[in-house]
Amino acid sequence: MMRGTSSVGSDAAAVAKSEAAEVAVKGNGWTGLIPIAIGILIALVLHFSLPAPQRSYNTQILQIIGIVIVLAVSLNIVNGMTGQFSIGHAGFMAVGGYTAASITYYGSMLLWGSTVKHGGFLGSGDWLFLGSCLAGGLVAAIAGYVVGLPSLRLRGDYLAIVTLGFGEIIRVVLQQTGPLIEDIEALQSVGLKQLVPPPLGGSLGFSGIPKYTNLFWVYSILAITLVVAYRLKSSSAGRSMISVREDEIAAQAMGVNIARQKVTAFVVAAFFAGVAGGLFAHSTGTVSPKDAGFQQSFDYVIMTVLGGRGSISGVTLAAVFLTVLPELLRDFEQYRLIVYALLLIIMMLVRPQGLLGIHEVWEMFNRRRRKAETSGSDVSPAEVGS
Amino acid sequence: MKSSTEGLAAKSGLIAGGAASGPEALLDVREIGISFGGLKAVQKFSLRLPRAGLYGLIGPNGAGKTTVFNLLTGVYQPDSGEIQLGSQRLGQGKPHEITAAGIARTFQNIRLFPSLSVLDNVRLAGQLHNRHGLLSTVIRSRGYRREEELLRQRSLELLQIFELQDRADELASNLSYGHQRKLEIIRALATNPKVLLLDEPAAGLNPQEKFALAESIRQIRDRFQVAVLLIEHDMPLVMKICERITVLEYGITISEGTPANVQNDPRVIAAYLGAGLEDA
Repeated sequence: MMRGTSSVGSDAAAVAKSEAAEVAVKGNGWTGLIPIAIGILIALVLHFSLPAPQRSYNTQILQIIGIVIVLAVSLNIVNGMTGQFSIGHAGFMAVGGYTAASITYYGSMLLWGSTVKHGGFLGSGDWLFLGSCLAGGLVAAIAGYVVGLPSLRLRGDYLAIVTLGFGEIIRVVLQQTGPLIEDIEALQSVGLKQLVPPPLGGSLGFSGIPKYTNLFWVYSILAITLVVAYRLKSSSAGRSMISVREDEIAAQAMGVNIARQKVTAFVVAAFFAGVAGGLFAHSTGTVSPKDAGFQQSFDYVIMTVLGGRGSISGVTLAAVFLTVLPELLRDFEQYRLIVYALLLIIMMLVRPQGLLGIHEVWEMFNRRRRKAETSGSDVSPAEVGS
Repeated sequence: MKSSTEGLAAKSGLIAGGAASGPEALLDVREIGISFGGLKAVQKFSLRLPRAGLYGLIGPNGAGKTTVFNLLTGVYQPDSGEIQLGSQRLGQGKPHEITAAGIARTFQNIRLFPSLSVLDNVRLAGQLHNRHGLLSTVIRSRGYRREEELLRQRSLELLQIFELQDRADELASNLSYGHQRKLEIIRALATNPKVLLLDEPAAGLNPQEKFALAESIRQIRDRFQVAVLLIEHDMPLVMKICERITVLEYGITISEGTPANVQNDPRVIAAYLGAGLEDA
């Protein structure tokens, strides 16, 4: 059987040479943006066809679902793809939320004299809000970098404790901040005394944030998050992350810089968590220290476990399910945690790899067909060689 | 058996001139050593591996063979000595840097990425020389798509050479043991190495598979022009294909030379069969 390989091999090498010179790729530089454009289009349709979240309970739930998916899918980059166990995701969200909130709150006070929503759809207020969310994402990403560094030395439970500690530190630090500056007059005559500690509302939380978040922004950012997560997963970068999860020693031996992969995963995940934090702060109008707490982080961990580690569609489904379920069970609210715990126990017993494992929904249907195609189309080289 | 090894030794005469005085070594290892606490795992290990050479590293269990591999690939940093690949000094490099420089390895206990497909295992190793960054991945730029397509084609071709292309979409964990061993070698080759370190590739294979493996190791060396350093316990296999052999015992090099010389070295026989064989 091996004897035949020699001649076949040289043929294959010749083929390789001729093809390597001209690898044809379809489309131009803009092709890659099409899925994002479609996502934004859907967000536009949602925004204009449904009532405003302030007026409709269902729209409000839809908006929260979108934000939660962004958080769960981004956490999945760290926990699912890279195999690092982070339970401080709400910490990143809070960092982003507070950053974004302080920019729009004090920004619009300085620009327009009050914190009331300014401008209509895509008006100047909306752009300030978008910028604040991106800034929130960036600040959270920096925090992600700092938290990612210990992951180079720690693994498993120990890393989990570090991330847990991070979330708690954020929570306690936010509790120690000073009271909000209520109006423009106070802001203009502000002294150093009121700025140290920064006026972010203390343990009462940051309230009175202009409610800029709407379905358009949530679902546009969700579309970007999903596209980015999927592209990461199906690329060389994603394979590197997955290889770190599978076997660090083998990954290194194959030339993967595992330190860089881990930190990258933390930074990317924290960025999206930060943006989601911005969306969250501007949807309810308040963000408080307890939003950085362990309870919140744990919700997202459950979603990634339930959905399957590394499966973007699985985690999305789990996020939808676990956001809708408590709403349906409103009347039995005190049993919510019991249901969660039961769900986890059953999951671990019946399907420890999660709902979809590492696969996506559509792969479950394609799998069999694709296998048939690949094995049918090629002539076995062993036959050619002999 | 003996005549065949002698014939082979004669054929590879140009390298048989001696390790120390060899004309040009691709991988030049000079007296590296490492100790763990008080245990001197490897001492003064030297090796001059020429371009496209096929050398063997043997020794009883626990002799330090895999430790040598770990030193060469940066898993451990040597306490002393120097490692040079071509004109590049490798001494303190991290494992991924050393792989990028051109030393790839397989593992004694198979270390594939079980939940990645066969193709993805190969692609993962081949992406080492990609130039695109994270941003072009996210926006799927032309450069990114071109590089990924090229990587996919190359990986499939590599699989085709080793007759595994039919299994490309299967999970690596679903391959048979023999195929998993093969995939480990393919994966190492996908990093486009100058030196390939094979850690007991024949372990657990049946006689036919071992025979095929011996053939394919030679073919790999010839086709990819890669230097091979082989750790193996299967003596007939080592004697058959290796041009020169280094024998380790307790971390010390006790013999070095052509298979015929090593086979007749009394110290080697003592190491394998026990001391007290003066008539060897």
